[in-house]
Amino acid sequence: MESIISVADLRKEFKVFRHHRGVSGAIRNLFTHEHRLVKAVDGVTFAIEPGELIGYLGPNGAGKSTTLKILTGILVPSSGEVRVSGRVPWRERRAHVARIGAVFGQRNTLWWDLPVIESLDLLKHIYRVPADRYQQNLNTFRDLLGLDEFLQTPVRSLSLGQLMRANLAAALLHDPDILFLDEPTIGLDVVAKERIRQFIQQINRQRATTVILTTHDLSEVEKLCERVMIIDHGRLLFDGQLEELRQRFGGERELVVDFAEVYEEVSVEGAEVATREGQRVTYRFSRGAVTASTLIGRLSAKYRILDLSVREPEIEATVRRIYEERLLDK
Amino acid sequence: MFRLYTRLISIRIRSQMQYPLSFLFDTLGSGFGTLSEFIALWAVFTRFGTVGGWTMPEVALLYGLAETSFATMDMVFSGYDPTFFSTQIQRGMFDQMLLRPLSLPVQIFGSEFIVRRLGRIGQGLAVLLLSFFLNPIQWTLVKIILVPIVIVSTIAFFGGLFIVGATICFWTVESLEAINIFTYGGTTMISYPMHIYGDWVRRFFTFVVPAALLTYYPALYFLGKPDPFGMPPVMPFLAPVAGFAVLATAFAFWQVGVRHYQSTGS
Amino acid sequence: MMYLAAARLAFQRQLAYRTANFAGLLTNIFFGALRAYVLIALFGAQNEVAGYSLQAAITYTGVTQALISYLTLFGWWDLMRTIRAGDVASDLSRPFDFFGYWLAQDVGRALGHLILRGLPIMILYALIYRIALPPAPIHWLAVTVSMTLALFISFCYRFMVNLAAFWTQDAVGIGRAAWMVSVFLSGFLMPIAFLPSWFSSALRWMPFAHMINTPVEIYLGIADGSALWLALGQQLFWCVALYALAQLTLAAGVKKLVIQGG
Repeated sequence: MESIISVADLRKEFKVFRHHRGVSGAIRNLFTHEHRLVKAVDGVTFAIEPGELIGYLGPNGAGKSTTLKILTGILVPSSGEVRVSGRVPWRERRAHVARIGAVFGQRNTLWWDLPVIESLDLLKHIYRVPADRYQQNLNTFRDLLGLDEFLQTPVRSLSLGQLMRANLAAALLHDPDILFLDEPTIGLDVVAKERIRQFIQQINRQRATTVILTTHDLSEVEKLCERVMIIDHGRLLFDGQLEELRQRFGGERELVVDFAEVYEEVSVEGAEVATREGQRVTYRFSRGAVTASTLIGRLSAKYRILDLSVREPEIEATVRRIYEERLLDK
Repeated sequence: MFRLYTRLISIRIRSQMQYPLSFLFDTLGSGFGTLSEFIALWAVFTRFGTVGGWTMPEVALLYGLAETSFATMDMVFSGYDPTFFSTQIQRGMFDQMLLRPLSLPVQIFGSEFIVRRLGRIGQGLAVLLLSFFLNPIQWTLVKIILVPIVIVSTIAFFGGLFIVGATICFWTVESLEAINIFTYGGTTMISYPMHIYGDWVRRFFTFVVPAALLTYYPALYFLGKPDPFGMPPVMPFLAPVAGFAVLATAFAFWQVGVRHYQSTGS
Repeated sequence: MMYLAAARLAFQRQLAYRTANFAGLLTNIFFGALRAYVLIALFGAQNEVAGYSLQAAITYTGVTQALISYLTLFGWWDLMRTIRAGDVASDLSRPFDFFGYWLAQDVGRALGHLILRGLPIMILYALIYRIALPPAPIHWLAVTVSMTLALFISFCYRFMVNLAAFWTQDAVGIGRAAWMVSVFLSGFLMPIAFLPSWFSSALRWMPFAHMINTPVEIYLGIADGSALWLALGQQLFWCVALYALAQLTLAAGVKKLVIQGG
């Protein structure tokens, strides 16, 4: 099967001009063109199959948004090949854009003064959605996203959570093949995040919509994605299954245990004590050496435990580890 | 395509008419305001006699053509108004437009439509009709057809200038106020007979930025006045050439601007 | 003391907008030159009309251009914005005079504009045209006093117009109409002396002419001797009258804010 998105050796460089200050600086600005080259995307290659739900991770400034802008057709790359559904995004803008949906976190695609329903209606005309299909989708989204609560409200009066839900519905009205999400849950509370995550999952499963989700929230990725791509400094550090990421680079995990009493001696085989605070002990153990369940088994055999939890490393830490230890340099 | 354009501007129109009294006040106010200015100018000019040999009714013809055209352009090309367009870019609205399967110009034309300009349009038409009434014009079929052609050409000319100003926003927003020299300044300039300006100014605005072709030469033709500069007799009919040449050049520049935006990001 | 600080801050802010002010300067020169051309054509062979020589009339176009930014003739919205944003409630509860605070800022801004746009325009005009200068030292002094009074009159007017935001959502529309009216009645387009005498007399009974036309007539020496004292007196009258009106409007607005809860 033909990949729905294929990217080969994608590169994007930005010229950042040195901006001089003051009046004499303004004159200097006219004559000098001192600049440095920032490599936002530095040779990225990957292919995405239809129906995948992919997490595109990386720290701030890693190149995630730039990649997304190129895939949606807003930005033209410096070099490299991009094909989305067989098209080059920025060359066949209108045909390309008619088959995708995009939602950018904390930004808005709808018309400020209009009630949500009128914005959606206008989009129906812009995307030429057949009336009955529009009605079907609208009903589905009203149900799944709870739109009725604010369908008649002007977009400018919506809360952030409502705005994101409205924008999601808007992005899917025309049954796009691909949905691009750029940090869609940023700034939202836990309940709102969960609701949106469930919606994304349903859309992906029920409609086989390919979803590209950029985020730097690892827990979001864990709940939604199987395949994960990690980008940093414009380079793709990892492209594979989430589990593989954990196994290979998850490195050290932590087990936080609340004992029933303050034990003098809390050592256990396979893990080292990281911190102690009264009855709470944090153990550090490496994934390859021992499993969490084994460790728990050993601890509960020796001590009385009230509560415990396993902590995974954060994406930033994992990325840093990969980068610093140059684990992908083979 | 056109239906979507009308849908888009009807949203803008509805939102402006939200407070109908205030809207009426605004529209009539701007109409009466500009009309009063013209009347005051008329009072002053008649005290002096002529404006470089032209009578007040003759000047009114230039003024009426210029004002009607400019105000109409201002309304239709509202989306390309450089000040408005620069805020659109800053808010990320242009990115949104790139993501919709609709031509960019249609979206921009549809992004704003300032209805209260009707006041100024009305004022321009009033002065224009007054000039037709007061001047002893020998009307022919050609002259009658030429009036709307001149107006449309002038709209195209200044619309092109708006588009140029908006395109500059892709590079910088700092010196936007200077665009007013060409738009508002240009309109005022062509409201007076060309010969009152120095020689090199006049030549510039006849051959380089051909604004003189928009109102001055057609007015000479309407009024049956001889051309003091001895230009070829085809001059009065070149308004469409001037207008649409500027518009076409502006659109070409616009394409360059869009490509620049897409390669450098926001 | 804090008023001085507010004024200084506003002044510095203006100086920071160098490129924007430069672009505005070019616009001013262009429109000034345009008006000058028209006046030259109007005068034709005549030497003097209504007490104005051609030189005086051309100087008029330059000085009025210089006054545009000094008096923010085409619109001032800062106060309106803080009212709409709701910040005004906290400003009003602070232990300083609200009117004085805004006046101080306006003075700082005006000085900035005078230096960045007003003076350069006059200098450029002096290079391009033979402009008229105040005939005697007493006139220079009178011009300074008159410009100060003009600023105060202009500020009171703008202050009141901005306060409309207390009462209506569409204060912007009212603002637009208010600026248009003031520009038209101020003698900005043409010296008032050129208008029919019944009209120019009527205009001298209103405050707007004393923002623009009066300072320029004093500068050109057209208002001389007893006419000079009369002109300054009229300006002073309007300063007091508009100040009183502004305070009344402010009090009414505050009352409305307190009752309505902002």
